[in-house]
Amino acid sequence: MTEKSDVLISVRHIVKEFPDSGTVALNDCSLDISKGEVVAIIGPSGSGKSTLLRSLNMLETPTSGKIIFEGTDLADKSVDINRHRQKMGMVFQHFNLFPHKTVLENITLAPVNLKLKTKAEAEKTAVALLERVGLADKKDEYPAMLSGGQKQRIAIVRALAMEPDVMLFDEPTSALDPEMVGEVLDVMKNLAKAGMTMVVVTHEMGFAKEVADRVVFMADGKILEENTPSELYEHPQDPRLKDFLSKVLI
Amino acid sequence: MYLILAQSAKTTWWQSLFSGMSPASFFNFSFLPKYLSFFWQGLVYTLLLSVLSVLVAVIPALLLALGRLSKSKAIKGITGGYIAVFRSTPLLVQLYIIYFGLFGLIKIPSHTILGFIDISRFIPGICALALNSSAYVAEIFRAGILAVDAGQTEAARSLGLSGWQAMKLVVLPQAIKNVLPALANEVVTMVKESSICMTLGMMELMWGAKTVAGTTYITIAPYVLVAIIYFAINFPASKAIEAVERRMRRGDRKV
Ligand SMILES: Nc1ncnc2c1ncn2[C@@H]1O[C@H](COP(=O)(O)OP(=O)(O)O)[C@@H](O)[C@H]1O
Ligand SMILES: [Mg+2]
Repeated sequence: MTEKSDVLISVRHIVKEFPDSGTVALNDCSLDISKGEVVAIIGPSGSGKSTLLRSLNMLETPTSGKIIFEGTDLADKSVDINRHRQKMGMVFQHFNLFPHKTVLENITLAPVNLKLKTKAEAEKTAVALLERVGLADKKDEYPAMLSGGQKQRIAIVRALAMEPDVMLFDEPTSALDPEMVGEVLDVMKNLAKAGMTMVVVTHEMGFAKEVADRVVFMADGKILEENTPSELYEHPQDPRLKDFLSKVLI
Repeated sequence: MYLILAQSAKTTWWQSLFSGMSPASFFNFSFLPKYLSFFWQGLVYTLLLSVLSVLVAVIPALLLALGRLSKSKAIKGITGGYIAVFRSTPLLVQLYIIYFGLFGLIKIPSHTILGFIDISRFIPGICALALNSSAYVAEIFRAGILAVDAGQTEAARSLGLSGWQAMKLVVLPQAIKNVLPALANEVVTMVKESSICMTLGMMELMWGAKTVAGTTYITIAPYVLVAIIYFAINFPASKAIEAVERRMRRGDRKV
């Protein structure tokens, strides 16, 4: 499964130090993500999960190390990062929909302005994707009129409209009311079933167990353990992981 | 009532301070029928000066604000220096330097528009006010841009948009909406500040008052009249801006 040609993203010895606070958020992390794989990242708050995820598309610039995506080291300053980001969808905890744009405009903004599609083509794709998540009737609404669950499903559609090769999720259900978590997780499950490569920072242990091919446990800026969900949950090795699981699984 | 008091009582020391003045002289508008056009044209001149100078200031202010937020230390320093100079020196001084300095080199032909606006004075006036205003409006824009959640830029950049595209398509439209009230307040400020253009012979409201006072020897009432005019414009305008701001804030909460 981890043949060289299958690897989509290869994280090589990433270190991230925030210069202002001197915090070392990532301390020599390495990780390979294969095409079609769903990787869940778990760990206590402040362990560097978001920083690792955000390093994958250079929202955080690593202090040292390499992020090799489709054969290119994104950490190399001479790389046109905008071109590669088009292939890496990202979904945020707080949705970050554009409040001054309608749902349809949110989804078509990037494909149209990056001249990847005409407005008509982009709208056609957008409507098709909205239908897939059951929100086609909301296309002319503004984000303020939507529930959290609807907003997050639209944020997912906005990322998918770029036809990315990988989707990055940073705690996509953490800001949602409990009754809305399911609708978002369902969309993500369908995406996984359809073969999308996904990296998901999550506190949803059930989701990680059911959907992830691999679970990565982080603490103190380090990847301490990674394994299939069943192995990792049933036979945790690292004492920090055992401690973490005993707290979240109750 | 003051008149009666002043006449009936014995003259005291403080009354002698006001000798030759009566409350009526504050409101002696007898010059009005003859000199109405001075105030009417002055009002038009003042409004044109203040509205146009803020409008002209918008684009340089935006560039200054973006410069202040730039990653480049040099650009940050130059724009920061400009803003510091214009905010820390009197507008009157700036006006004189720009009028005699800059427009001593660039000669604008004397040409009158609307029958009373001489562009060889009006254009330097607009320029000076706009250069000054751009320093203030830049700070308004900068605050407006910073007030837009960083997540908006991140979302835009994560879709592959460039920094400038994210600014233009996502951040600025939200920032502009939030700064419109502050921009309107800047016009209100300029309506008042533009009165210094009188000193260079621009025929705005204050110049009208001074000229009428000089010609008629009615020394106080013309100034009282322009005070009333300034107030009648600016006070309702400020109240309206406040109401709009309140409404915008309530709208935001609904989100
Ligand atoms: N922009 C930043 N500036 C300074 N420190 C940061 C910044 N972002 C994160 N950190 C620090 O880096 C560490 C890891 O943060 P993060 O990746 O957000 O953790 P997690 O997502 O696992 O909760 C924390 O100690 C956090 O305080
Ligand atoms: Mg996080």
